[in-house]
Amino acid sequence: MYPASAGLRVVSLARTLVAEQIEYRELLVQMVKRDLLIRYKQTVMGFGWAVFMPLVNTVIFSIVFTRVAHVDTGLPYPLYAYCGLLAWNFTASSLRFAVVSLTGNANLVTKIYFPREIFPFSAVLVALVDTAIGSSVLVALMIWYRVDVHWTVLALPVIVLAHVTLTSALALLLAVGHLFYRDVKYVFDIVLNVAMFVTSVVYPVDRIGGPIGRLLALNPVTIIIDAYRDVLLRGTLPPAAPFVAAGCFSAVLLLAAWIVFHRGELTFAENM
Amino acid sequence: MAQPGIRFEGVWKKFRRGERHDSLRDLVPALARRLVGRRTNAPELSEQEFWAVRDVSFEVQRGEALGIIGPNGAGKSTTLKLLNRIIAPSRGRCEIHGRVGALIEVAAGFHPDLTGRENIYLQGAILHMKRGEVARKFDQIVEFAGLSEFIDTPVKRYSSGMNARLGFSIAAHLEPDVLLIDEVLSVGDMGFQQRCVERMLEFKKQGVTILFVSHNLQAVASLCERALYLHRDVRALGPCRDVIEQYVRSAVRTTTVSRRGAVEIVKTELVDHRGCPVSCVTPGTALVLRVTYAAHATANNLLFGFLLYRSTDALSVYDANFGSQELQVGALQAGDEVVVDYHFHVNLTRGQYHLGCHVFDLATQEYTDRVCPIGALTVDESRTHNGIADLQVAPRLIASTGSLAGAAEAAL
Repeated sequence: MYPASAGLRVVSLARTLVAEQIEYRELLVQMVKRDLLIRYKQTVMGFGWAVFMPLVNTVIFSIVFTRVAHVDTGLPYPLYAYCGLLAWNFTASSLRFAVVSLTGNANLVTKIYFPREIFPFSAVLVALVDTAIGSSVLVALMIWYRVDVHWTVLALPVIVLAHVTLTSALALLLAVGHLFYRDVKYVFDIVLNVAMFVTSVVYPVDRIGGPIGRLLALNPVTIIIDAYRDVLLRGTLPPAAPFVAAGCFSAVLLLAAWIVFHRGELTFAENM
Repeated sequence: MAQPGIRFEGVWKKFRRGERHDSLRDLVPALARRLVGRRTNAPELSEQEFWAVRDVSFEVQRGEALGIIGPNGAGKSTTLKLLNRIIAPSRGRCEIHGRVGALIEVAAGFHPDLTGRENIYLQGAILHMKRGEVARKFDQIVEFAGLSEFIDTPVKRYSSGMNARLGFSIAAHLEPDVLLIDEVLSVGDMGFQQRCVERMLEFKKQGVTILFVSHNLQAVASLCERALYLHRDVRALGPCRDVIEQYVRSAVRTTTVSRRGAVEIVKTELVDHRGCPVSCVTPGTALVLRVTYAAHATANNLLFGFLLYRSTDALSVYDANFGSQELQVGALQAGDEVVVDYHFHVNLTRGQYHLGCHVFDLATQEYTDRVCPIGALTVDESRTHNGIADLQVAPRLIASTGSLAGAAEAAL
């Protein structure tokens, strides 16, 4: 096969996939609504949980990293930590919902046809709504610490887009992986715990230094989380090269993950 | 000529028997197999697999209704899943044109914690209805389900019948080009079932292409012109009544209890008054079932049974037993042979029926022989009366007022 024709096929497949999502957009909205409504109905705190989790972690890590071991982040530590935790929580809870999103909806997957991507995508969107709610506390903290808002805040949508793209790609892969191999959820839980500490969530990983530090700097989630801090808290744009690289990586990963997911789609019902 | 609504072309589908590997422990052998080139969807069968659907081809024209019948595990639901794009065929092609509605697992998308109202919007979206469309039909849906009182109650408090009614009601308000139906008539009370049948006939009138899977052969016969008898492969495809007849003949197996019992049924013949064999008659015809019995041992207290069933649902229409004395058979000795003629009138409405007969030994309280079916009987008539028994109702006008008064008098 010629590379050019393979490229064309990928493009036309991608177009079909996106068109199908657009056709089923109302279902995606309904699914997101369903998950939010259920949580609101089943829990007393409802959306309060979206704020509560990163807040508790911020308090704990503030004590650890300002009293026990001092880490210089160039920012007020609670601000640094909350911003990192909010962004990290978006990825973590998206993936936590996404990993069981197909297996948890077995009755739908085996009975009714619609694009199965809806399940992991709605997990990501639900987490995005939580993050939007949680960001109100970030705004409060920024006012408290008298952070000047710069024009760089205009770059925020681009960073969110890169972040959602990367998270969606991982969500698709985890959902399909867990469907075929139920061990995936357990492996994922362990990896997620470790991942938080090799990403610049509560401390800057570049402080580790050496070859490990250089390796960790390649983590696209670190690049994205640092980009949030740059445009929101420091009033600078993120370093261009790493950010563009992370963005491109995310886009390619999403395309690849989506194709893998689509290829497996018709075997989901049999492997449930 | 427009393309058909549904086309199945040489479709094969295999399934795995037994457990599927689903932990990382089994990943290595699975990957190794894949590297060697044995894909799970390869056209050949490996030892743990079997064909659930084997070389099935059929078409359903636009606006036509096709019924699929067959025993359990014959691949009927698999066929619907293939059409509904839930699973992919191992070989062959299946196509479906137009907007597809599926009356299958109608309440699958419901979430127990959401109210009926919220679930209608959710299930509507799952069935690919637009939000505006659901909103427009909302009142109709609720009214059809008969649940207006409970529409803001969480579905978890619904009875299973209410659940199914709401699900069916949503699906029934789709505007599909092609409708796939799988055994949904079993839910709900009588009134609701009646409404479901009416709704399906309405769909048919609107020119919707219908594929109807059911064990209720009566329902299939009333909704579909053509039927497909499926048992892994296609056993019969054609006019509904012929296919149903074929299915019934194969499904109702000859049952023989205790071969070489005291008395055996050795021969049966269904003939008309001239002694000619018959299989298709008009209502009211006089027929004779001639049964030859052979005794292998002494027996003197027997019951000779004559039975008639409606084939489409195995309903027992007639079941009579005649004692030895009544038939004046007397005591039988080994080697004796007895021939009995059962005269009867086919007072039945149109449909498919079959006969059976047995011999019951009152001394041992056992059937010495039992044979069913022994003859298929098709009752046909130009006028269509429904039901089973031909009561030979004769209407007569005896009174009338107004301009017709004279006519009534004349008739009297």
